[in-house]
Amino acid sequence: MDSTLLSLAHGFAIAFQPDNLWYAFLGCLVGTLVGVLPGIGPLSGIAILLPVTFGLNATQAVIMLAGIYYGSQYGGSTTSILMRIPGEASSVMTCIDGNAMAKKGRAGAALCIAAVGSWVAGTFGVVALTVVAPPLATIAVKFGPPEYTALLVLGLIFLAYMSSSSLIRTLLMACIGLMLGMIGIDNMTGHFRYSFDLAELGDGIGIVPVAVGLFGLGEILSTPSHNVVGEVIAPKFRELWPNRREWRESYWPIGRGTLLGFIIGIIPGSAHIISSFLSYALERRVSKHPEEFGKGAVAGVAGPESANNSASTGAFVPMLALGIPTGPIPAVLMGALMVHGVAPGPQLVTEHPDVFWGFVASMYVGNLMLLALNLPLVSLFVTVLRIPYAYLYPLIIMFCILGVYEVNNSIVDVWIMLIMGVLGYALRKFSFDPAPLVLGLVIAPIFEQSLRQSLIMSNGDYLIFFSRPISAGLLIVSIALLAMSAVTFVLKRKDWRDKLAEVEAGEVQQ
Amino acid sequence: MKLRADHAAGAAFVVFGLVVIALSGDLPVGHLSMPGSGFLPMIVACLTIIFGFILIVRARESGLFSDLNWADGKHALMVTAITGAAIALYEHLGFIVTMLLMMIALLIVIERRHPLRAGAYCVAIVFLTYVSFVYGLKTPLPEYSF
Repeated sequence: MDSTLLSLAHGFAIAFQPDNLWYAFLGCLVGTLVGVLPGIGPLSGIAILLPVTFGLNATQAVIMLAGIYYGSQYGGSTTSILMRIPGEASSVMTCIDGNAMAKKGRAGAALCIAAVGSWVAGTFGVVALTVVAPPLATIAVKFGPPEYTALLVLGLIFLAYMSSSSLIRTLLMACIGLMLGMIGIDNMTGHFRYSFDLAELGDGIGIVPVAVGLFGLGEILSTPSHNVVGEVIAPKFRELWPNRREWRESYWPIGRGTLLGFIIGIIPGSAHIISSFLSYALERRVSKHPEEFGKGAVAGVAGPESANNSASTGAFVPMLALGIPTGPIPAVLMGALMVHGVAPGPQLVTEHPDVFWGFVASMYVGNLMLLALNLPLVSLFVTVLRIPYAYLYPLIIMFCILGVYEVNNSIVDVWIMLIMGVLGYALRKFSFDPAPLVLGLVIAPIFEQSLRQSLIMSNGDYLIFFSRPISAGLLIVSIALLAMSAVTFVLKRKDWRDKLAEVEAGEVQQ
Repeated sequence: MKLRADHAAGAAFVVFGLVVIALSGDLPVGHLSMPGSGFLPMIVACLTIIFGFILIVRARESGLFSDLNWADGKHALMVTAITGAAIALYEHLGFIVTMLLMMIALLIVIERRHPLRAGAYCVAIVFLTYVSFVYGLKTPLPEYSF
């Protein structure tokens, strides 16, 4: 524990360097704007701005990109409460009671509770990350190829199980991602695969053109500007402080949401979306006045907002400690670290302590910055919400082209981005979530290498995965999850996905 | 039988899987004790075909193909065409000219915004971005090269 505290102190020394403070602030500000603006999610925001970080060192880059991620969770609540439009997917639940509070003249109180809840959850998440990640990394050092293969299989199945679209759709997307990840030179044999004599494809398809295309351009193609309209309720600064009853009603939901969010965050899947939905359901169940939910219940804002922030921090645990992304956003952040020559995983704590501890400490600072940013600057964000989308999206397309081109100075990458944009548009039409595709693309090289190494180690015996306790345990969990999915599939039971779809449908109708 | 959205989507995935298998013809699959470079692509392509078939079999749960809303299709097509043209010209006309033309086309042709206001906005944004990247971030951007 002493060594952890010493390392954390070292991290604070790095985080408090003026450059790093500036990039944390910039990340938080941009993240808040990304969360505030409807149509730009955290994933597209991070993907578009990823190339901007290439001039920075690894610590500064990850500090800024993580700031965008957790900043967007804060910012999403502003649009939900003031406009009843979820700025990003995890804010759907906040729309319901947050906007109802705003209509009652309590917009300021709802924003304040959301910001304080997010801060408490974010800070708790970082404390837990500080405590959990280093010991987990020590255990992960003992992992060999079979364990990594089993862990990645579990990750994919968990993602499919917890994803907001159906199991088959998620697995299909992951398969397409895995196939895209296999384009280029095979590391073990040197064969060129599916490169169609294009030298640029020799190194494979990068995560940046795929993520920017699917989430940045794809989102723009499916969002005509006349669809982005809404009335903004502008709160006054003096109305920001909640009254005593509202504080009292928010303590426990913030606590429960924080804990629930962190646990769900560690599990692969769209953690920040699932956590806010489950937190809302939990609060309604434990409430003495469930009839108030939907009409401006404080717990309906405090719980989900805390849960999605805590989950976004929890998602960093497997990414930093195991080198396994649990969702598309950690996958893009992993890609960013790899671009800077830093491989996330068990060795990160020992080989790059400046990056790891600087990043962790910057999150403490970033959460404070966000609390300071979100409340006093609410009028600025209200002004941003009034910029017509028609003026905004050409700017985003310009940054997409510029950003993707700058990664490798390759126009082929920009064409890939355009193709992925069209693919993203088509996938949305057919109700496919493109997020697992990005995850598949990132894990494809690690998965292929560990699977082939395992088979070579065992002379082609598949039982190697069941003869080692850790990999056997992980695969048994995978099989159990598949069996649970099969039960839901055969009995046609409603699960949380159907309930979330009903809530979203209700939101659209209103 | 009515054509449903998942019939079309599932069929597209089956065809995609078959195309991957066809393209993998010259890649050695190897054997279990020494898997080749075509080993995993073959497994994943087969899984894609299987999942595609499951999607087709369960297509009754999806909406009708004819009910898919393509109202935003024209907007998507125009944005794609303008973005494609900008990408084709990017390395030849350079950053400033290409981005100015692209933004003006998006704002005036698609969004029908006031030409003067849209033009001023585009000039300001493109020059600000150019200066920030070239002088602020020391990142060279493509120049006119005809």
